This record gives sequence, structure tokens and C-alpha cells, in this order.
Amino acid sequence: MPQTLSTREANLFRTVIRYYEDKQYKRGLKAAEQILKRNPKHGDTMSMKALILNAQGKTEEAFALAKEALTIDMKSYICWHVYGILYRTNKNFDEAIKAYKFALKLEPDSHQIQRDLAVLQIQMRDYQGYIQSRLAMLKARPQLRQNWTALAIAYHLDGNLRQAENILTTYEKSVTTTPLRTDFENSEALLYKNTIIAEMGDIERALEHLETDCKNCLDRLAVMELRARYLAQLGRKQEAAKAYRALLDRNPEHPEYYKGLINSLGIPAVAEAAQKAVYDEVPGDFFRSTAKEYLTLMFDKGVPSTFANVKHLYSDASKKDILPALAREYLEELRGGSVARDQANGDSSKGEGAALYFLAQHYDYYLSRDLARAMEYVEKAIELDPKSVDFHMTRARIFKHQGEIARAAEAMDHARSLDTKDRYINSKAAKYQLRNNENEKALATMGLFTRAETVGGPLADLVDMQCVWFLTEDGEAWQRRGNLGLALKRYHTVFNIFDTWQEDQFDFHSFSLRKGQIRAYIDLIRWEDRLREHPFYFRAALNAVNLYLSMHDKPQNGTNGVEAGQANGEDAAERKKAAKKAKKEAQKAEREAAEKAAKQDPNKAGAQKGKDGEEAKKKDEDPNGVKLAATTDPLGDAMKFLWPLLQFSPRNIEGQFAGFEVFVRRKKYLLALRCLKAAVAIDRGHTRVLEQAARLRKVLDGAMDSLAPKVKGVIETELAEVPGA
Amino acid sequence: MAEDRQPADIVEGATTGDVEDEVQPTAKSAEDRKAAAALSKLDAHGDDETAPAREVDQEAVKNAMSALGDGAVKKEVKKAVKVDAADVNLLVDELELPKAKATELLKAHDGDAVKAMRAYLQPDF
Repeated sequence: MPQTLSTREANLFRTVIRYYEDKQYKRGLKAAEQILKRNPKHGDTMSMKALILNAQGKTEEAFALAKEALTIDMKSYICWHVYGILYRTNKNFDEAIKAYKFALKLEPDSHQIQRDLAVLQIQMRDYQGYIQSRLAMLKARPQLRQNWTALAIAYHLDGNLRQAENILTTYEKSVTTTPLRTDFENSEALLYKNTIIAEMGDIERALEHLETDCKNCLDRLAVMELRARYLAQLGRKQEAAKAYRALLDRNPEHPEYYKGLINSLGIPAVAEAAQKAVYDEVPGDFFRSTAKEYLTLMFDKGVPSTFANVKHLYSDASKKDILPALAREYLEELRGGSVARDQANGDSSKGEGAALYFLAQHYDYYLSRDLARAMEYVEKAIELDPKSVDFHMTRARIFKHQGEIARAAEAMDHARSLDTKDRYINSKAAKYQLRNNENEKALATMGLFTRAETVGGPLADLVDMQCVWFLTEDGEAWQRRGNLGLALKRYHTVFNIFDTWQEDQFDFHSFSLRKGQIRAYIDLIRWEDRLREHPFYFRAALNAVNLYLSMHDKPQNGTNGVEAGQANGEDAAERKKAAKKAKKEAQKAEREAAEKAAKQDPNKAGAQKGKDGEEAKKKDEDPNGVKLAATTDPLGDAMKFLWPLLQFSPRNIEGQFAGFEVFVRRKKYLLALRCLKAAVAIDRGHTRVLEQAARLRKVLDGAMDSLAPKVKGVIETELAEVPGA
Repeated sequence: MAEDRQPADIVEGATTGDVEDEVQPTAKSAEDRKAAAALSKLDAHGDDETAPAREVDQEAVKNAMSALGDGAVKKEVKKAVKVDAADVNLLVDELELPKAKATELLKAHDGDAVKAMRAYLQPDF
């Protein structure tokens, strides 16, 4: 039973809560201690104390105390609620849900607990639970529109579109006064309903609803875009074309509108045949003259992005030939002086440089590559304008394509030095340095643009800023240098960043609802559901899995994982040496960073001291990934990266291959077979498919007897269908 | 709408006001109530109450609510499929599925472990 306190202590208890909310943790603790001195077994107070401890970062202590409080006062919803909060802040959402549910059972009328529970349920995508919670919340306060909308969202996400629409309509009918035109929530809710109708596939009705109910919606652009789309979907082409033209009047730079217009004008129906005819029959004359006009204009102006603007045309062979010919023609005309360009502009070299630059890029482009000639042109361009960042950048790029990584890095850094205020070229230079395994140099380069005040130096800032590309490239460079610890560290950091992005949605479950921005919210939820499809995730995760595989195959003897395995002869010795050097360098960099941080610290600490209980940033226990590299179960560690890889990018054959390798080593033959079958479906003839199939067959021949009979049966029938097995 | 940029109630970890809501009903003295009210105003969730009350036809809402009642509880009637615990464990072990997922998979295939495993092996894209 809830334990009662004397009035004085009850007051004190309330101050504890207030201190907690004001983040005055030390005072809160003091007050809690005061109560506990008299009532050492007061569950609620113990729970509050645990909550404060947790906020101070003493997680384990907090859990122990909260548990003790629970055993003392099992019937206190405060104790259960606190227990749930502890789990939630430590990201164990499943357990948190259980605790909240229990708290709610004890105190069914608490809006707060109900709301917290609902947020957790939608975060965990427990749609059924969310529907129940939302229904309860609606019943408690049916006069609030957002409660109706929220229930509709719950049904919508659960796939029950009809019920979702129904809920929204029910609310609309129950309103007696017409909402104001400026009522944003109303406007958004109407459009939300409209998208639900469209999602049901009933475009006719969606259009009708849009034209009647939504015609005054505040998001005019959305209404126009939806209308154009619906008309196109319904095949009402003339009207659709008109709608797209209206959109183009508003914004002539939006390519989607052109696509929509072209589609509704019925051009694609004849597209391929027509295009072919144009190219074959009228051998580029029209194209030639238009392109010439365009290129001349661009070159005269010295537009550096000219090549980037036209390279998409290279998929067509004739255009691929015409464009460089035109550039050359332009150069000849310039030199021959046949065209007396208005020298008033004064800058005749601009056009020449631009044309040379165009040709350099042309010969660097993968569809028309001739690197020697590319270099020739770019050198000529540089001669004309030795200070051009663009020219030097392309020069570096050509080096890269030639496989001259070191020279490429050097050239890119030179390009960077020509414009030290440009973040783009700065990042490029850092990336090229990483490709050249110069991690420290790259970090210093990046450091030119990171926040100087960040404790922990540029790297800490890049992590804070979630600079995924840098972390991935940095990890790859460390991996090439044999520093497995730092490589793993970076891949794990990328993984954690994706985790953060997933957690970021937490705040929006209530926020979006309160602001009434439901369509954006639904987009967010759906984006989050597919977050790890992102190529950035795939790349870092695949690297990690493959690295763990190699660690499993060649167990490291060094604690840092720096020392390479026993390769033979000089090569190994050399690598060892390089690795040792790398280690030293890394340590040095680390030391320097630490020193730098220490120097900055005093101010920082002073600023922080003011706030009572403000916890310092959690210190990284393993900044160099030593612990990560020292794992005894690399395959087990790989799983965390592998599952999302297989789930979200099943069509990428590299992921399936990596999955096979992990599962076969872990003797999970069914799962290995699953990856293999997926690989077959992606690319039957791939040599690695055949190799893996043969290997699986061979392994299984020796292992069949140890398998459960049912598994054996499944494998036999399924493996028979795989080519090469 | 500058205030839209950041939800006012975002607090790292636990939201503020978690417990204060619960305390409110127990507030006894007038002063307590005042303090509690002041506190709840700090809590951005309080928006709920302060939102402009729309004219809602209470009767209509009531009717709508009662109509909802059954609609929500309505669940698809699931086939009662008996699942062998040994089969569940086999799937959990071989396919590394959570127990609930393994059970679901088995149920979807009439409790036939071989069928379930074969189905799981097929590429689902």
C-alpha cells in the first residue's frame, strides 16, 4: 500500500520532485535524504532518489535503488513509473513499456503515464498497443482534436486506412462551428485525410475531396501538386498538363513538374521510337546547332559546371562525340581569331580555359576516358589560369583515376590551398588524404573548418556533427593501415549515429501532433522505418562485417589488433613496422588532442560549475577501439551490423555474400543458405555464388549428421535448387 | 513561427513533469495547488489544456465515441494453431529469430516446422 508521510515530509517530497524537474540534483538528493532519514523504507522517495541518481549518470546505482524501492512498495505507481523512466533513458524500451503498463494499471487515470506509454509504443512500432493507448486517451478527452487525429494516425500506420479516415470524419462531423480559414491544424488535418484517401487507391474520390474540402487549405502548393498528380493518375491528361503548367509558373526550376508535364502531354508513349528516329534520321544537326549555341554561351561566360550540366547526354553515343568536337571547334575559332569576340569583355582567356577544362573533364569521364589526354588538357588550362581551384581539383581527380593516390592527394591539397575559405574543396582534400592513408593529415585538414571550442578536437566535433562520410573513410584508411581498433571504432561510431537518428524521432510523436503537422510526421515515420537502407549505413556496416570476418580467420596476437597476422617474410615485417608506426602516430595524435582539450578545459569547467549537477560529457572509455579489437567473438560482434544489412538492403549481393560467410563460420547453415538463395536471385551467374554453393555443399557433407532431422530435410531440398551445389 | 523550431518539451531523458502530474490530485493545501498549477504551466504538455477550446457538439462526440468502442477492439480471429515448443526452439536456434517471431512463423505455416523454415529461406524481395 502507498506509504503515508507526515505533512512536513509530504511537502519535502514535493520539493524533491521540483528540484528534479529544475535539474537541481544535489539539492534534490539532500531533500530526499532528509525524508529517508525518518522513513528509510519510503518507496516513492527512494524512487525519486533513483531518478536523480540516474540523471547524474549513476545508472547502476539508480537501477539498484529503484528495484529496492519496488520490492518495498509494489503497489506504488510512482515506483513503477520511475522504473519505466529508468529503462527508457537507458533505451531499453521493451522493459520500459512493461513498467509503464504496470504503473498505468495501478493508476489508470494518469494522463502522464498514458502519454509516456503511447509514445514508447509508437516508437517501438507496437501499433496494436498504440491504438489501445490512443483510444483510451481519446475517451479521456474527446474534445481535443489532436486526440482524434492521433487515433487516426494509429490506425493509418497499422494499415487500417478505412478506420483512419472514419475517425477523422467522425470528428469533423462533431464540430458545430465552421473552423476558421486560418486554422492551420484544421487545414493540415484535411490534407492528411486526403492523402489517406489517395493511399486507399481511390484517386477519384481523393480528387473530389481535394477540390471541395481542401480548396481553402493553407498549403496551396501541396493542393496544387496533389491535384496535378491525381489528374495524371486518372488519365485526365489535358487537365493534368494545365495543372503542371500552373506549377511551373510558380517554380520553373523544379524538374518534377517538367516530368509531370511531359508525361501528361503523352510524349513518353512514343518516346523511345521517336528519340531513336530523331537521332538516326536527323543526324544530330538540330542537336549540334543547339548544343553549339549553348556551349559557346557557357564557355564565353567561363561557367565551370558546363560539363557537369551536359554529361547526362553521354549515354547517347552520337552526342558523346558531338560535344567534345564542338569544344574543340570553339578552341580553334578562338585561336584562329575568326570570330572577333568582343574584347571589351577583356577576358578572352576565360572562354579558352573553360573549353580546355571541359575537354579535360571529357577525357576524365568514365564513358569517354583517356587519362593522358585529360591530363594534357588540364595542364593547358592550368597554364592559362594557375590559380583556378577547379582546374587543380580536376587534375587531382585525374591522378586518382590513374591510380596515383599520393599525387592525387598532393594535388588536391594544392587546390585547397588556393581557396582556404571553401569548405567543399577542404573536404575534398581531406578525403583524398584519407585515400592516401594520411589519417592525421586529413584530420588536421578537416580541423580547419571544425568548431575550435569543441572539447576533444576536430574529431569530437566531426562525431558531434555526424560527419558520416569522414568517419567511414577514416575507418577504411585505418583498416588499410592495419589499425583494426580505430577502424572498428569508426564503424561503430557510424552505427551509433544511425541509432541516434532513429531515436531522434522520439520527440516528434508528441510534438508533431501538437503542431498538427501530420503529413510531415507520417513521412518521418516512414523514413525512419527505412533508415538503414541508406548507402552510408551499408558501406560502414559491410566494412565492419568483413573486418570482423578477417579477424575471425586470422586471430590477432597484439592486444590492439595492430599487429598483422602471420603473413610470410619481409612483407609481414614491413607491415608490422608500418602498423607500429601507425600506432605510435595515433597515440601521438591522441595525446596532442588530449593536451589541447586540457588547455581548453578550464574555461569550460568553470562555465559548467555554475549549474548544479550538470553532468560533464560522458568520457569515451575506449577512444582507440582497443577493446573493440580485442574481442574474442568477432563473428558475434558482426551480427549487430549484419542483421540490418540483410533486412534493409537485401538486394545488394555484397551484403548477402558477407552474410553467408558469417553464417557458415557460425555453423548456422539455414541462414547461410538463405543468403546464398538471395544471392542466386540477384545474380545467378556470379562466380562467388557458385563458389559459395560448392563450399556449402562441402561443409554440409561433413556436418549433415549433426543436424536436426527437420533441418536436414529442409537443407537437402533447398540446396538442390541452388546452381553449383 | 520561430517557436516551432524546437519542441519546448524536449528534455534529455525523462520529460519534465512526469511525476508532478501525479502529485497534483494529492495536493491538499491551497498553496500546494497553486505551486502545482504553476509547475504544470512550466510543462509544455500543458498545451493540451490551454489549446483554444473548439466548439464541439458533446452529444455527437458521445455518439461517435460509443460507435468507436467496438470498432477498436475488433481483432481478426486467429486460427488456433498448436505449436510444438520444440519446434519453436528449433527455429529460434537455427534462424536466430526472437521467440515471438518464431511462434508467429510456425503458426502461419500450421505449426509445420519444415514448411516454416523453407518459407523463411525464400528471398522476400
